[in-house]
Amino acid sequence: MSIVRYVQSALTIAEMEARKIRHDSTELWTRLVQPALWLLVFGEVFNQIRGLAPGGLSYMQFITPGVLAQSVLFVAIFYGITIVWERDVGLLTKLLSTPSPRSAIIVGKALSAGVRGVFQAIMVFALALIVGVGLRFDPLDVAGVFVVVVLFAMCFSSLSMCLASLLKTRDRMMGIGQAITMPLFFASNAIYPISLMPTWLQGISVVNPLSYVVDAMRAMILTGDYANLPTDIAAVGASTLIFIALASLLFKRIIE
Amino acid sequence: MPPIVLKLFEARQGDCVDGRHRRPPVRSLTSHHHPTGLTSTPEASPCAWLKSPVRHAKFAVTALQAIEVEGLTKVYPPGLRAVDGISFSVADGESFGLLGPNGAGKTTTIKMVTTLSRPTAGSVFVFGVNALESPSAVRQMLGYVTQAVSVDGDLTGYENLLIFAKLYNVGKKDRDERIGQVLKYMGLQDRANDLVKHYSGGMMRRLEIAQALVNRPRVLFLDEPTIGLDPSSKREVWLHIKRLIKEFGTTVFLTTHDMVEADELCDRIAIMNLGKIVGMGTPAELKKSVGGDVITLRLSDSLPGITLPTEVGTVARTEGELLTILSANGEEAVPRIIQHFERLGLRVVSISMNRPTLDDVFMKYTKTSLVDAGTFREARSTRRSFMRRAR
Repeated sequence: MSIVRYVQSALTIAEMEARKIRHDSTELWTRLVQPALWLLVFGEVFNQIRGLAPGGLSYMQFITPGVLAQSVLFVAIFYGITIVWERDVGLLTKLLSTPSPRSAIIVGKALSAGVRGVFQAIMVFALALIVGVGLRFDPLDVAGVFVVVVLFAMCFSSLSMCLASLLKTRDRMMGIGQAITMPLFFASNAIYPISLMPTWLQGISVVNPLSYVVDAMRAMILTGDYANLPTDIAAVGASTLIFIALASLLFKRIIE
Repeated sequence: MPPIVLKLFEARQGDCVDGRHRRPPVRSLTSHHHPTGLTSTPEASPCAWLKSPVRHAKFAVTALQAIEVEGLTKVYPPGLRAVDGISFSVADGESFGLLGPNGAGKTTTIKMVTTLSRPTAGSVFVFGVNALESPSAVRQMLGYVTQAVSVDGDLTGYENLLIFAKLYNVGKKDRDERIGQVLKYMGLQDRANDLVKHYSGGMMRRLEIAQALVNRPRVLFLDEPTIGLDPSSKREVWLHIKRLIKEFGTTVFLTTHDMVEADELCDRIAIMNLGKIVGMGTPAELKKSVGGDVITLRLSDSLPGITLPTEVGTVARTEGELLTILSANGEEAVPRIIQHFERLGLRVVSISMNRPTLDDVFMKYTKTSLVDAGTFREARSTRRSFMRRAR
């Protein structure tokens, strides 16, 4: 199996997802409600408090990358439910009966979550524009944000696929998804800076991939300070690789 | 037939696998001249034998079997033997069926042969390639139609085929041609651009078969091909499968719990019950092995432990006053059976004679009716899958 075929298989699976979204995009629109609430209600209210955001940013500016990351996180963390559904209806068996390597299917599914993540990002960007949040719209930076979004969605969707391989039912996936998204969100720098956290929470936020994602996005669309960017991307990339490897190992359990 | 369709199953140049995991071909008893028995093949390519010239001939004595399974076993924890040491082989171009009630281990067997599930013990070879060592090479040779509906309802029929053509590494320039062929062949070209969720059950099934054909498989696996279809859709799917077998000599491996289906579609049948193969042969052989005609009669009263003189026939099954008797010569046996019971003081209320069906065969080999066994085993297998999910 050459590397070209491997990449082709993964891209084909992502293409499948993109085609589905083209036929029916209702879900994408409903997923816009939550980030809109965070930005328009939570953001607007906390915008009144001075000094919450560091470096002379307004709170609205500060929270925009956090809300963007959070909305992608939701898409990714519940992606395992799609996998469980596909297993239940027999689609997954069919995919696994093709010559594509298992890990290529995982990468393809992770990319599919990335496709959905990109749509989320576009919508949050649009929302921020409408509300008038001051962002730097440098084409390279925006492209960078999309790369980070795809990587991030791949990271947490493969974590979700690991969980799906172990838990195997939609109900349990709903439960575990709810149980981990909020802690991940609150233990990150998405809605408040790490410096304001109690010490124990600061410790957790350092190992939370979400913090690195938000940091990278802030650097690109707000501050333009790229000092931490290599660390951020390396951290997210490494977690993605680990979760993809783990999911590939666990995946055979899902159809047994 | 339009000529393009005839290319559905041509041997591909590109599907050679490297020779490392290939098993030395089994020498057939009738060919002494060459280990592969294919001396006439002019190609010098190491994979020339993969494109066996006799693969379209039914029951030809080929050296290489399409599928060879030995001692195949699958044990699910905590010790449930879903498949219990079965062995069989399927000849190239043959249509082979596993017949058994739900939960007999048919799907588990198919999953192991298609490399989706790892056997606890035993070996699987597909066209001489070891499925345990080179699963990807084996998957490249097969088409698999799963028991559950496995087409994506949120895509169009064309898109479903396109995605699978890509996953089976069908080259860009061949793709549209092949998709067009299979759509036409399965009679779906008019609905190709509709979303699959608007298809009927029979159309979905045909699309699934089309999907498996995009790969131009050397073996087509069909797991319960007509399960859940209404009678007319069922007939239609049967017709398509029969046409495939007849026109292209595709090797077909199917599972079914429907005797009529096995009779219609299979050259050879293995009867499977509780994870074991309990009988194997052509439908005619199996029916013959039942021992002639099947006589069903109702007595005026039930009587435990009924026996008959052996020259008249044997009692296959008793169920209250209802008796099933197997007899070598039904016409002569009927009056003698009536006499026999009158001597015992029993009146024969009704009597009928039938040629044996596969249901009778099943009854003979498993001592249970397919229908009864099905409900019992089905309940068990459903519960088992619940347990598996709960783990």
